[in-house]
Amino acid sequence: MSSGFRLEARGIRKSFGGVEVLHGVDLTAAGGSVLALLGENGAGKSTLVKIIAGDYHADAGEIQIGDEVHASLDPVTARGLGIRMIFQEMADAPALSIAENIALGRWPRRRGLVRWRELRRHAEQVLDELGVDLDPERPVSSLRIGERQVVEIARAISGDVRCLILDEPTAALSAQEVERLFTFVHRLRERGVVLVYITHRLDEVRQIADYVQVLRDGNVVLYGKVSDLDRRALVSAMVGRAIDDVQRPPPRTWELGETPVLRFAGASSGTAFRDVDLDVFPGEVVALYGKVGSGTAEVAEAAFGTRRLTAGTFELDGRSRSFRGPVQAIDAGVGLLPADRQREGAFMVRPVAENISAPSWPRLAKLKQFITSRAEALAYRRWHDALSIRSREDPKQPMATLSGGNQQKVMLGRWLERRSHALLLVEPTRGVDVGARQEIYRSIRRLGSEGVGILIPTSDYEEVVQVADRALVMARGQIVARLAEDSISTEQLIEAAGG
Amino acid sequence: MADEQAPVTTLASGEAAAEGPAVAEPEARRGRRVPEVAALVLFLVAEIVFFSIKSPYFLERDNWFNILTAIAVVGVIAAPATLLLVAGQFDLSVGSGTAFCGVIMAYVAGDQAGSLDKANWLGVVLVLLAGLAIGTINGFFVTVVGVNALITTLGMLAVLRGLSQVIASGQTLFLGAFSGLGQGRVAAAPFDIPISAIILVVVLAIFWFVMRYTVYGRSMYAIGSNPVAARLSGVRSRRLIYIGFLLSGLCTAIGGLMLVSEVGAAASGTAALGYELQVVTAVILGGASLAGGRGTILGTVLGLLIIGVLNNGLNLLSVDAFWQQVAQGTLLIAAVSFDQLRIRFTGE
Repeated sequence: MSSGFRLEARGIRKSFGGVEVLHGVDLTAAGGSVLALLGENGAGKSTLVKIIAGDYHADAGEIQIGDEVHASLDPVTARGLGIRMIFQEMADAPALSIAENIALGRWPRRRGLVRWRELRRHAEQVLDELGVDLDPERPVSSLRIGERQVVEIARAISGDVRCLILDEPTAALSAQEVERLFTFVHRLRERGVVLVYITHRLDEVRQIADYVQVLRDGNVVLYGKVSDLDRRALVSAMVGRAIDDVQRPPPRTWELGETPVLRFAGASSGTAFRDVDLDVFPGEVVALYGKVGSGTAEVAEAAFGTRRLTAGTFELDGRSRSFRGPVQAIDAGVGLLPADRQREGAFMVRPVAENISAPSWPRLAKLKQFITSRAEALAYRRWHDALSIRSREDPKQPMATLSGGNQQKVMLGRWLERRSHALLLVEPTRGVDVGARQEIYRSIRRLGSEGVGILIPTSDYEEVVQVADRALVMARGQIVARLAEDSISTEQLIEAAGG
Repeated sequence: MADEQAPVTTLASGEAAAEGPAVAEPEARRGRRVPEVAALVLFLVAEIVFFSIKSPYFLERDNWFNILTAIAVVGVIAAPATLLLVAGQFDLSVGSGTAFCGVIMAYVAGDQAGSLDKANWLGVVLVLLAGLAIGTINGFFVTVVGVNALITTLGMLAVLRGLSQVIASGQTLFLGAFSGLGQGRVAAAPFDIPISAIILVVVLAIFWFVMRYTVYGRSMYAIGSNPVAARLSGVRSRRLIYIGFLLSGLCTAIGGLMLVSEVGAAASGTAALGYELQVVTAVILGGASLAGGRGTILGTVLGLLIIGVLNNGLNLLSVDAFWQQVAQGTLLIAAVSFDQLRIRFTGE
């Protein structure tokens, strides 16, 4: 089975901005086998493979490919050595045809002109090899996400590929598409290709990998044959001591309100989610746990008026509502903290005070229109201390100069200033450091004690354990489990979400 | 845990004073906000020093009135342009819009029989309506249909220039008895400030106030700095941008009236030619970012003065008008480069 070709990385170190994220990591993968690289977000998986693919330069260590040893690689050299990588996000050119994409950057040419017939033949050949039936002339933009990934793979394996790295390739795929992907992976394995497969889904490791290596906080904590390791060993290697560290919040000392703030009944929205029954009572913190793409964020969107329900109902404070957009939802008392703070939440070049007060301007302004920096500064004062936002004591400080955690506190302050009583906090601590995370959890609990109803769609199970009164687990658009207060634990959540 | 020990606070009403030492930002991050305007002031002062050495007439009061009159029309249009650019939008139709409005005024009030005064008033009303119509069309295509602002207003630029020439049969229309706006002075010396300069100051002051102190103006900054976040914060982006285009159309009309009054005629083919370039140059020079979210009226004023002083100085030095165009184009590219470099070095 083995082609004898090997990929080895030894003692790889890498720092970003003075913080070391890889502390001398080794990696060994042999041709004709699949190595699963497992670890939590931020464990260093992506950084490690990007170094191998030449995207980043290692600070120390060496990479051996076959017989060649390199201190560092650049993308062109790595490609020349037969190393290919498939990224989580599509890196294709949607306006171009499948054939053009497969040979992107290497179109057959004669005197500066593209040789279309050869381009097409090449594409047909590669697609054939993969056993897919797609017309190479079709523009990539007309493909479904799974098909686009096939094109990515076709591009990666066209030419002389000796090592293929797949970075969480199944995040956006349907079950069927995942099956097909696995078939490709197995076929490449038979051809003697080195395969490195990054994932944080345990079930996939069993299905596809021969060897597994677990990274945690930039160190290798486990390496072995998949058949020798059970699920438990993998989980505890992944989460480490943290599995015991993660503590439940103190029991609730306040009463819940009687009418649910938020309620979905039999709610569906296209293919994003279906048959969701969910309610959040005043004073309650409910987590909606599910992996990325499981539909949790979309449920929040539906409650905020940015997504339509195609079936079922949504109620706010006991009244059936169908918001046409955020303006109505906000007026009704709903606040949404989007998952992607940079792109959807913050006004980075604007002052912190403005970031807090934007939705509340009509109230803060005289005659609904005339706003003074004093009114904004007061709003800033209110939340600067209450949420322990660490910043200069300057309301005019640009948002971009705050750390991620403090930006997130500002975003929370935005809805508190708006006096929203139904909060949708999507991934509230993504990209937030540990200390600030605890502060945010405390603020969330305190908001609960004051009667705010809070729904937290998240893919972070530790977050669920630390903050939620109740947890609903989603997978592929449906609620698959409901965990009551005393049954919320890391293991339960991972188990319920299907590894 | 700490939750329990924390004082009973009402977080939802913002009256809490939880513990938490405010950690100061690293020193290096301070003082970053100073240089934007400072560089402009420096450049302007350098210009003034240079020209006052080269030409004895430069610093005289009348020359300054000349400069103000010269930038008045462009300045009146640049005010809403600043507002639009802050929201990430452009209006390139302002140049030919100005000409179009001037032509309408001259057409309506130029050769009319009857009371000249009455014709003037009719002309003014029609021109203001025309300006609003231009804004309505631009706003409709940008916010309702969703065409890119650059494309929409570029198209309007051609349409309006063409219509001007259609109305005037490609000729220059003369307008004799409407000189107050462009040539008048508010009082006798020593307070003989040109009326156009007053209008300029008033328009700029209004926009300064709107952009600084109104929810509308602040919302435009929010839209420009992050359209998605603005929408999710409940800002009615499309409506507000629509209003921005209406304001731009209105100011174009005012500019058109000032221009036709000053010149006493409307040249359908060449009036206000290239004003859009001057406007964009002034606004960008003033520190507004093409990416939206930044820009101030104060900056635009400085940008206008830099352009005005440059043109005036080159005139005094008898430099060919063609070279003035070269200078202005260079200035625009320099201004954008400066913006880019600023982004690269400050990372903001």
